[in-house]
Amino acid sequence: MSDQKLRVGLFVTCLVDLMRPSIGFSALKLLESAGCDVTVPTSQTCCGQPAYNSGDRAAAQSLARKVVAEFRDCEYVVVPSGSCSGMIRAHYAELLAEFPADRPEVERLSARTYELTDFLVNVAKLDRVPGRFAGNCTYHDSCSGLREMGVKKQPRALLGQVPGLTLNEMATPEYCCGFGGTFAVKYGEISARIADRKCEDIASTGADAVVLGDLGCMLNIEGRLKRRGDRTKVYHVAEVLAGMTDE
Amino acid sequence: MSARDNIFARIRAARAAAPNVDDAERAVIEGRIALHAVGTRPSMEWALVPRFREQCVRMSSTVDDVGSMADVPRAIARFLTGMNLPMRAVAWPEIARLDWNGTGVVVEGRAARGDDLVGITGVHLAVAETGTLMLLSGPATPAATSLLPETHIAVVPQGRIVKAMEEAWAQTRQERSELPRAVNFVSGPSRTADIEGQLQLGAHGPYRVHVVVVAE
Amino acid sequence: MGASSGARTMNAPAEGFKARAHDKLNDAKVQRAMRNFNLAGARARGIADLDNFEDIRTAAAAIRDRSLASLDLWLARFEQEATRRGTKVHWAETHADINRIVIEIARQTGVKKIIKSKSMVSEESHLNDALEAEGFKVVETDLGEYIVQLAGEKPSHIIAPAIHKTRDDVADLFAEHHKTPRKSDIGELTMEARKFLREHFLSGEMGISGGNFIIAETGSLLLVTNEGNGRMTTTLPRVHVAITGIEKVLPTLEDASCILRLLTRSATGQSISNYVTVNTGPKQPGDLDGPEEMHVIIVDAGRTKLLGTDMQEALRCIRCGACMNHCPVYQNIGGHAYGWVYPGPIGSVLTPNYIGIENAVDLPNAATLCNQCGVVCPVKIPLPDLMRKLREKQVDRGLRPWQERLGLKLWAWTAQRPGIYAFATKLAARLGRSIGGADRTIHRLPGNGWTEGRDMPAPKGKTFRELYAERKRS
Repeated sequence: MSDQKLRVGLFVTCLVDLMRPSIGFSALKLLESAGCDVTVPTSQTCCGQPAYNSGDRAAAQSLARKVVAEFRDCEYVVVPSGSCSGMIRAHYAELLAEFPADRPEVERLSARTYELTDFLVNVAKLDRVPGRFAGNCTYHDSCSGLREMGVKKQPRALLGQVPGLTLNEMATPEYCCGFGGTFAVKYGEISARIADRKCEDIASTGADAVVLGDLGCMLNIEGRLKRRGDRTKVYHVAEVLAGMTDE
Repeated sequence: MSARDNIFARIRAARAAAPNVDDAERAVIEGRIALHAVGTRPSMEWALVPRFREQCVRMSSTVDDVGSMADVPRAIARFLTGMNLPMRAVAWPEIARLDWNGTGVVVEGRAARGDDLVGITGVHLAVAETGTLMLLSGPATPAATSLLPETHIAVVPQGRIVKAMEEAWAQTRQERSELPRAVNFVSGPSRTADIEGQLQLGAHGPYRVHVVVVAE
Repeated sequence: MGASSGARTMNAPAEGFKARAHDKLNDAKVQRAMRNFNLAGARARGIADLDNFEDIRTAAAAIRDRSLASLDLWLARFEQEATRRGTKVHWAETHADINRIVIEIARQTGVKKIIKSKSMVSEESHLNDALEAEGFKVVETDLGEYIVQLAGEKPSHIIAPAIHKTRDDVADLFAEHHKTPRKSDIGELTMEARKFLREHFLSGEMGISGGNFIIAETGSLLLVTNEGNGRMTTTLPRVHVAITGIEKVLPTLEDASCILRLLTRSATGQSISNYVTVNTGPKQPGDLDGPEEMHVIIVDAGRTKLLGTDMQEALRCIRCGACMNHCPVYQNIGGHAYGWVYPGPIGSVLTPNYIGIENAVDLPNAATLCNQCGVVCPVKIPLPDLMRKLREKQVDRGLRPWQERLGLKLWAWTAQRPGIYAFATKLAARLGRSIGGADRTIHRLPGNGWTEGRDMPAPKGKTFRELYAERKRS
């Protein structure tokens, strides 16, 4: 790696901003550990995914164009979420097709947008993570991260560097947890039942904690585990890697 | 306008094509057909006959090998005896004409009925990739012989084994001007898993398929 | 045929989704039965023996696109060849047309008893009911379809119609309808069905089948079955009627061969189904078996509405069922909850398109968009994208509840204005923490489906934005 620092814009995501800021700070710490020069554009809000997936194309477009403008000057855009980074990389081009003048900027953004662990492994080449963890973890592959961003080996490679952490794979880590954004609210009963299968799978590993890369899945799994009376901890992969699981 | 005309008009409109088909369009699809382009396939780097045998077994058929057609009746008699099956069969005429004397098997060359227990057929070709028998219907090769009886025995000359279904179509085109009423690809015994997903052999067609591969 | 003129049909079949899903989720028998099948596992093993599965998928999607791109030409070519070989080709614009044509053929040929091999298109038109109303005896012969028919139900899966039944259900049905001693062993039940259905095969005068594909090159009908009932239905009765959609045409036998490698593997994991039958016309001179008449009914019934639109990719579907087998929603609620013929992700796309999006408002929304379906689809139908497009059409047509529309608008308006957004989230974070209380958990949010089955981890009291600003200041 040259002396030149990678200039990274951190897209915190609206859910992290509101619900679990520690994930944002963990991401910050990891990027800085990897020698990146990180900026956090203060006007950022949301990538537009909730509107996009609810069929409100106009609302989604206005938010997507806002993101495109906000991160114009960043060399890389890193997101501690497979689904929000997937929204940018896999869907912005289609979503903003009605704005042909934006197209070069949209394509430039998509090409330099990364999910956090993917960026740490494949771009920043982080080889020593700051965190430590005493116990067994199991990893849930969130759908968008896995199927839109190709995130599978990267978090496992990084978790493998965490002193004291043992990874026990569940039987079907790639099986959807049932979150699905507003689906979890509109079809709560079905969503909770899907989450049950995930909870059973997690329980069968005997892990102390389930680790994952998307706050949406995290709230869903944690919420269902709690309702079931299961005390298994749920952490975002960034929290574990950064050693910030207590915050 | 007829239903046909309405449907075609809607398709043409959806394609933004002119209402009437012109000869150039027809020529394109005729050209496409004439190519008989073989699509992307898996690599098939295996020897035909061993692959055919192995895939037959995978599809729950049983396989026997004999040296020549003259050996077929005794091999079949052995199979029927060994399996404790009736020594009476309905067969295609070409099979019924073999010398069954002394084998103890009574073979009738006629159409199969619902109560026949053993049916013996030849094949038009066989497909190595999937362990599949290819049977063509015809006056001397009725389709029901491989369908109604509980046991289907097929005699497969080694030279009739081809690589994959695409080769089977190509060779059939070479050998015949057009397809018969029915082409049946048969790969092992009839089966169902409709109750609780549990596999059961012998749903409506044969319970067992026995393949006799003839070396020459 | 379902109207799609814009009027919402009262009691449309795909409405009432939530209530049906609730019933199925709480039906212990259905839940148990659904877990007996592992078609997803079978598929995974099945595709493992193709060393270039993804390349074949790409090729298969291209073949389907080629068919659709010149659909009228391939259909005309099919018709010409089929007619030359003695098949009578019929065209049905609507579901009512299908039933009328079949009834006419049945009357003209003087048949009384009809045996059927699986046809999902005939489920679209409720053909069995129409035939029975005219006094014909109709027997489904696919074992799953037979079970469902005895139960007076509809299939809940396109390739495993009785996936929602347990062996005990089947045992009860057989004992009742066959008037035989009750058996509970699956092998014995299958044997009993074989015995009863064999009688029907031998006495059926008309056989009705679906059609996995029709082949333009040769004017043939291609059927894929495992049980052999497809062969029986097309070999034994004196009249054979096949019913299939306009989209099922393939240019050549080579194209069919390519697609078959994926169809059976995607469906049940098999490298090939036990029987692949290619029928070209009726019995020929000298033949000892085969039907005297062969008819093919080619059906539109809503399909042309998808052509040339952003929904066209759905017409690539080869009906393998892989999307439903891998769908977390389908796996939990089963096929009947979807309310119409095609369940699972492909149903959530086809049903609104065929019967009108206003008549199936829930379906495209009742999916997590996990894209497990899109990844396994052998012809690469982008199912989540199509569901999302249907959601956009619902919004455009004002079919979403006003609260939802207003909520989205408010939220998007706020998110456009970082200052107001920062203030609103600051309040929400504090409010959330205070509702969360000592255990930092929200147990109930009135009117929110989330807390029906889950707790909600509470916000921590301050947003990232606030904390980051504090840190910068210090």
